[in-house]
Amino acid sequence: MRTVRVGIAESGVVVNPDSVTTLGLGSCVGVTLYDERKKIGGMVHVMLPSTELAKGGDFNKSKFADSGVPDLVDQMVRFGADRRRLVAKMAGGAQMFSVGGSGESILKIGSRNVEACRKALVGLGIPIVAEDTGGTWGRTVVLFAESGILEIRAIGRAKNQI
Amino acid sequence: MDLRDFSNLQLDAMREVGNIGAGNAATALSVMLSRTVDMAVPKAELVSIYELSEYYGDPLTEVAAVFVRSDGDFSCSLIFFQAEEDAQALVDLMLMQQMGMGPEGVPDEMRDSVLTEVGNIILSSFLNAVNVLIGGAHSISVPGVAHDMMGSVLQVVASIFGQSGEHALIVDTTLAVGDLDRNVSGKIVLLPDPGSLEILFGKLQVL
Repeated sequence: MRTVRVGIAESGVVVNPDSVTTLGLGSCVGVTLYDERKKIGGMVHVMLPSTELAKGGDFNKSKFADSGVPDLVDQMVRFGADRRRLVAKMAGGAQMFSVGGSGESILKIGSRNVEACRKALVGLGIPIVAEDTGGTWGRTVVLFAESGILEIRAIGRAKNQI
Repeated sequence: MDLRDFSNLQLDAMREVGNIGAGNAATALSVMLSRTVDMAVPKAELVSIYELSEYYGDPLTEVAAVFVRSDGDFSCSLIFFQAEEDAQALVDLMLMQQMGMGPEGVPDEMRDSVLTEVGNIILSSFLNAVNVLIGGAHSISVPGVAHDMMGSVLQVVASIFGQSGEHALIVDTTLAVGDLDRNVSGKIVLLPDPGSLEILFGKLQVL
């Protein structure tokens, strides 16, 4: 049983009995997809909402919600998942600091990320079955391909399984 | 400007900005604690935004961090962060020095308020020195504080720089309180807005 670690603006797909994890999600969002019949799970660690922020045509797809989510679907399909069976879960999108005034807008990137991921999933017709998003704390998440359970750990909080 | 086009002279200038800011911050901390405060030689580096969360070590390390935004001629964000144990030791020192209070019975909210204020004074002192250097005006936000995984805190930095490219310009230095049984230190990290660098370099005549 192997655990694949996904870094910031990266993605990964695993098959039962493996799991995929990302550490310390702050304002970023971890979007996971799961095919229950094939027991295939995937995760993308999205950093920013929109490719409108990308410079030039050659960019890292996993960095943005609107490119990273469709790209993860394609990767899942290449692993043998059926796109019609995919269900999504997501975690992250916190606002780590609050400073008020004009500085606040750059710190609200978390909720914009969550919104953009939701929009991308809805656009692809993939149901969001559970999420643990927002708040002011960081999250470490693991998706188990065996069960499709997404486990969320945060400092000073009880472990959450969704 | 594209961060990759930085010249060595410009990185040197950023280091000097860090030096002047951190020097003033170290003095402010030293006055508050009535102790010596040592300052490491500042670094100025371009770091990939993808490597940021592990740049200072294990991303799961628990840290306390104070964040401020500064808007003005030289707009930037600043973070003062420490290992959680160091932050609590610093709060103990401050309570004892300023109020003659031992660590017992002080509510957590008050400890957090002390920590936020120490961070605020350190970062404001840093910014004041930089703005005096360049003859600029600035306004500083109220401080935000977080106790969390280092990786989550540094992700804020990555997402700020990620909006304009693939690299972050990091100017950092370490302050360490002297004459103690245990090491109490913290890092000041200056994160200039990409758009503000040309103004800064213009004023420093290294454009």
